[in-house]
Amino acid sequence: MSDHRRHDGRSRILAAAAVVLAVAGALALVLGLRGGPAEMPTSPPLAASTEGPSDAAGSPPAAAADGSGDRADPVGPGGAARDAAPTAAETAPLPELGPILPASEPVSLTIPAIGVASDTLERLDVGPDGVLPAPTDFALPGWHTRGPNPGQLGPAVIAGHVDGPDGPAVFIRLGELQPGDEVQVGRADGTVATFVIDEVGRYAKADFPTSLVYGNTTDRAEIRLITCGGAFDRSTGHYVDNIVAFGHLVG
Amino acid sequence: MRTTRRIALAGFGAALLLPLGVGSAFAADGDVNANLTPVALNGAAASGTAMVKVEGTTLTVTMAANGLLADAPHAAHIHFGAEARNECPAASDDADGDGMLTTTEGGPAYGGIVVSLTKTGDTSPASGLAVDRFDTAPGGEIAYQRGSITVEPDVAQAIVDGKSAVVIHGVDHNEDGVYSGDAMSDLDPTLPAEATDPAVCGVLMAAPSGGVAAGTGSTAGTGTSTGVMLLGGGLLAAGAGAGALAARRVRATV
Repeated sequence: MSDHRRHDGRSRILAAAAVVLAVAGALALVLGLRGGPAEMPTSPPLAASTEGPSDAAGSPPAAAADGSGDRADPVGPGGAARDAAPTAAETAPLPELGPILPASEPVSLTIPAIGVASDTLERLDVGPDGVLPAPTDFALPGWHTRGPNPGQLGPAVIAGHVDGPDGPAVFIRLGELQPGDEVQVGRADGTVATFVIDEVGRYAKADFPTSLVYGNTTDRAEIRLITCGGAFDRSTGHYVDNIVAFGHLVG
Repeated sequence: MRTTRRIALAGFGAALLLPLGVGSAFAADGDVNANLTPVALNGAAASGTAMVKVEGTTLTVTMAANGLLADAPHAAHIHFGAEARNECPAASDDADGDGMLTTTEGGPAYGGIVVSLTKTGDTSPASGLAVDRFDTAPGGEIAYQRGSITVEPDVAQAIVDGKSAVVIHGVDHNEDGVYSGDAMSDLDPTLPAEATDPAVCGVLMAAPSGGVAAGTGSTAGTGTSTGVMLLGGGLLAAGAGAGALAARRVRATV
């Protein structure tokens, strides 16, 4: 009896310890995950977007509710004409989108600062699972075909392995990139798109900043170089983080 | 004893649930982008990209294109149709076989207009042909941005789901530098067909989900890890271990 009680007491202490440790651990993990974005890319200044039309929300709607088209039935489904009152300023400013190149697929990648010089890029087609696959060749970078071509408006994405079965792979040194380093992408039309690195960040895959990496955050032609990093989880066979280098087109 | 076990389980629960709660997103929010490429048969040597940020039922559209007929109004829309194929038209969509694709012939591919990408004023489908409010592509280039575009929830959802397409209209079939020709528009008989035939099109596709699995761990020993992450993992492991021990002990007393 007394023995049981003692066991119970110990169990309670252990159980309480489990709770404390688990909560602390989870919190530390969350903080760790959260810590990345906080200390890493201060997303490049959004100055361009604030001078865009979205700024016009506060201005009085121009009185065009009677609208240019008086068609009673909207053309599209869902009666999208419901809000005929315009919400943008009457004189929309021209957005400052910076230099932009025409479409042309990337054919080479050179990053002098980290010794990358590849005259081939794999095509990375997002699968039915919605995931961007990594290159099949550990020595080659690959480009995200669903995204913009490097040089076009928006975030062009190039991914490469950090390591392979035989050791270091093409993006082993990606995390060493510093703001100001240059990235040159040769294109099928013979032009070279030159980008300058702005930030390098590390993000937990479990909390990947999809919008920051793949979305339009800066209103200009940008590049994201992605590889793996952080701790390696032997149970899943994957790194827990992605390292992402952000750059913008300078010409 | 039951209480003890419950506490132990709560420990596991807290450990499992907290990290999972991070990073969930609202269904109607998302970023989609489109690579705008020449519409089949229509011969525009143009290209571009379009990006749409969806926040609830509000859109911000940013778009750049080049190679369009210069100094001519280019109607631009987001198209979607519940019955459409949700893609850009192919040569096989040339219903009348005249070797050119009209906006109507593209309908089965991209559906009707759901947003008119006007520079000013109304953005509803009713402004689909408001030629005086569309970009005129000086030098053949369009640089467009507009926020605060409001759409119906089903349209916002379709856009987030990657089912809509951006189409910029206005081509120069006969390459005389202006909208001209005997063929009149299928949308507005007062306009030449060149003014409304689709020039470039791209499906607004969802961003990939999550990151990239780009390593095998062969160099993991040389990598760096943030201390707090290791600490978190260690504490979790310790917590789980203690929890398991507690559970086992409880079981042992039963």
